[in-house]
Amino acid sequence: MFQFKLVLLGDSSVGKSSIVHRFVKDSFDDFRESTIGAAFLSQTIKIRDTSSDSTEDTVIKFEIWDTAGQERYKSLAPMYYRNANAALVVYDITQQDSLSKAQNWVNELKNKVGDEDLIICLLGNKLDLCDSSDNGDKRAVMTDEAKVYAEEQDLLFYEVSAKTGQGVKDVFQSIGEKLYQIKKEEMLSKKGRQAASAKDSVNVKLQRPSTNDPTSCCY
Amino acid sequence: MSVDILRTTEGIEQHKPLMNEGIGVAAEQTESTKVARNSGPRKSPSAPNFHEKTYAGHSMSEPTLLRNCNGDNLLNLGDNLSFNDRDANLSVINLYDDEVISRQMDDFEDNNDEDSQQNVDSDEGNTPTMSMLQNNCNGSETEHLDRYGFKKQNNFITVEEYNKWWKDYSQYCIRRKHKWKLLLAKSGLPMDNDSPNRFPSRSEKLKRYVRKGIPAEWRGNAWWYFARGQEKLTKNKGLYDKLLQKMDDLLKKKKKKKPMQDLDIIERDLNRTFPDNIHFQRETFQLDEPPMIKSLRRVLVAFSLYNPKIGYCQSMNFLAGLLLLFMDEEKAFWMLVIITSRYLPGVHNVNLEGVNVDQGVLMLCVKEYLPEIWPFIAPLHKRSPINLGNSKYNFGKNEFLYRLPPITLCTASWFMSCFVGVLPIETTLRVWDCLFYEESHFLFKASLAILKLSEQTLLKNRPQRVLRHYSLSNGNYHSKDLRINQDESEMEVFQVIQSFPKHLINPNDIFDKVIFKKRVALNRLDQDEIDRCRKYVTTQRQRYKNYNEIVGSNLHHDDDEINDSNAQKNDLLSNGPQDYGSINNENNEEQISGAASDMKVNSNNRIGNDLVNNALSSEVYGFKKSLSGVHWNNSIKEKVRQMRKKRGKDDDVLL
Ligand SMILES: Nc1nc2c(ncn2[C@@H]2O[C@H](COP(=O)(O)OP(=O)(O)OP(=O)(O)O)[C@@H](O)[C@H]2O)c(=O)[nH]1
Ligand SMILES: [Mg+2]
Repeated sequence: MFQFKLVLLGDSSVGKSSIVHRFVKDSFDDFRESTIGAAFLSQTIKIRDTSSDSTEDTVIKFEIWDTAGQERYKSLAPMYYRNANAALVVYDITQQDSLSKAQNWVNELKNKVGDEDLIICLLGNKLDLCDSSDNGDKRAVMTDEAKVYAEEQDLLFYEVSAKTGQGVKDVFQSIGEKLYQIKKEEMLSKKGRQAASAKDSVNVKLQRPSTNDPTSCCY
Repeated sequence: MSVDILRTTEGIEQHKPLMNEGIGVAAEQTESTKVARNSGPRKSPSAPNFHEKTYAGHSMSEPTLLRNCNGDNLLNLGDNLSFNDRDANLSVINLYDDEVISRQMDDFEDNNDEDSQQNVDSDEGNTPTMSMLQNNCNGSETEHLDRYGFKKQNNFITVEEYNKWWKDYSQYCIRRKHKWKLLLAKSGLPMDNDSPNRFPSRSEKLKRYVRKGIPAEWRGNAWWYFARGQEKLTKNKGLYDKLLQKMDDLLKKKKKKKPMQDLDIIERDLNRTFPDNIHFQRETFQLDEPPMIKSLRRVLVAFSLYNPKIGYCQSMNFLAGLLLLFMDEEKAFWMLVIITSRYLPGVHNVNLEGVNVDQGVLMLCVKEYLPEIWPFIAPLHKRSPINLGNSKYNFGKNEFLYRLPPITLCTASWFMSCFVGVLPIETTLRVWDCLFYEESHFLFKASLAILKLSEQTLLKNRPQRVLRHYSLSNGNYHSKDLRINQDESEMEVFQVIQSFPKHLINPNDIFDKVIFKKRVALNRLDQDEIDRCRKYVTTQRQRYKNYNEIVGSNLHHDDDEINDSNAQKNDLLSNGPQDYGSINNENNEEQISGAASDMKVNSNNRIGNDLVNNALSSEVYGFKKSLSGVHWNNSIKEKVRQMRKKRGKDDDVLL
């Protein structure tokens, strides 16, 4: 079993908690209490390694930090994304504003974590409100706009709905597969190196870098 | 049955009740009055009427109240009230299910002298009256709700568990209320139609009464009284109205201009406040939002206008929401002002520094009062020492005040929302009773009590962590393993602390098992201690911050040192075990300040040097000790106790 740490970031009310609950409990409430500080949840998924001969699934456990979205909670964020393997940066498709907030988060992650191995996924939520067949299309952020940005920044990108569940599982599945891939490569290269130098005491590269931000109040 | 009995409160005639909805919000007024008319006479939602009946007023022989139903249907709301007026009944709460009991209680409880100390630790539940209980029951749509309109069931507690607990607890409440009545009578205070608004003067006895719970239907008045709300309101007469007027103007403008940030966030939180409570729910068929949501909006917006330094902070919706269940809007507003300024100063400020300070205080208190819990939450390794030239600087033993342990991410929300949503509702209310009577130190006491109660669960889940904590100083570990294991065990501890409080359905657990126990010594912790502690942590954090700023700017001059991103890690490795896990090590103060003077001094960091010295030579906070003056080290105490336990001589087993 592998364990990965995943953090959700994004403006208040974009649906971070709803996404996590859809993933962890496969349920949705129209009204869920707003998050104070942060909540911690975990959930496992199975992935199949097509490249190996083994027919057995690999179990991946996600340790998920669901954070509070209001601006002033931002100062606590470094504690959450410290050592994270993946970050889901969520915005609300019906709120243009929330995309720019998401972009701020992406910048912060890139500046403060600065790890190429950190998987960042941009996630547009509330897709169910964007049914164009219905007259009530509330979309405010065009798919292309976000997509182009995600490609520029080298992010994963999905549009999902926590309400209907559309796309939510896939997001975690593909992040899981990616992380597994990285992990496998890490282990292979570690083995290789260990063979080279019999006693390789500590392999610093394998560690997830911590945030080196002396101004963060917590760590 | 009349549902129009309203509590009268001095001087706020205008706002009482919200019976006519919408104070000052002209746009909404017409609409909502229409709704109010349509749905018949609706009781004030903002002040559920807990005292529709005074149980003392019923005679024991009243037959309808004595229907026995095997006790499985005990908790109906509004059972005894007219059933053809459901809508109104929702906020009319039958607090005790059985109103007859109190009469029977008289004989028994009168002999039970509250003042005798021995009563303090005794189990309130084991009274002969328990067997005399009769319960009334009948089917009701509101069966799944508790007396405040919250769903009984949640992810942590089943309806069965709730009912089982409530069966006893409701009787406890009846007994307590009876005692309160006697106390008021003895103090010559009027009961005012079961809505007293004056209470006895402060005393140890009253404190004990409060700790055992204020009667639910008196809570609004009692909180208001103990928190000296009227004083505040009298000083600021008319201000709430003005704020609402201002809000009205703002909302009118809103359509044209970009709305205020706070207003927006408040709006998003309105429907995310107590979605499990009937008073806050919007029924699908209801076009208009519930009056409670409107009150909540007004209180929060008024507050954000009143105090722009705080504005709106998520968590205040829960504070205001709970207040609104017990008092009218204007009072709720002033109580919110009092909570955020007097009890939780700075906690909701834009930079949240107040909450960080309080977490530092809590950590100090854990270390002092719960040394057996500290290893679970203490940072296992300190951050790598800061590398300056050839010298390395470690933050002293107080580093955790600045770099707070991860668990504080959880405990921070305990303070921000005063346990609303953290503890089950009855337990939360009990903490609030004490908060308003005893002031903010009680929040720390409650936190410590919760942590203490979680000890068994923590041990069950991961005893290794504690072991590791102690073995670290012996130095057998690999840095990487340590790091990963540490993260992992932090998560586990976090998970326990996050969910544990949600199971504390019985408010008495916190008191009987911890706070009333002399052994845990929490009673030494008083308001004065917390005030001093807060000051201390505030200065410490400021020093560290200054220090970091100076050192941070120094590092930028020392390019070759820091630009190697591995420098810190290498440092971490080469420094070896002796740098870790020495949290309880009291001897490194001189070493550190000695090291500080070795510092490679740049021409421009004279002040910096002072600040560094200042930060590093930080004195340790001295807790008040017990009278004897003997400085018992708590961890020694703990050891002695465990030795005694082993010998089986300790009969006073915790928990
Ligand atoms: N229609 C629709 N509504 C959604 C969806 N996801 C969330 N919501 C609603 O959006 C609101 C906010 O959702 P939350 O999950 O509480 O948002 P959050 O990002 O956790 O917000 P904070 O805790 O304040 O940071 C709730 O009322 C949800 O019901 C979705 O996929 N579709
Ligand atoms: Mg949330």
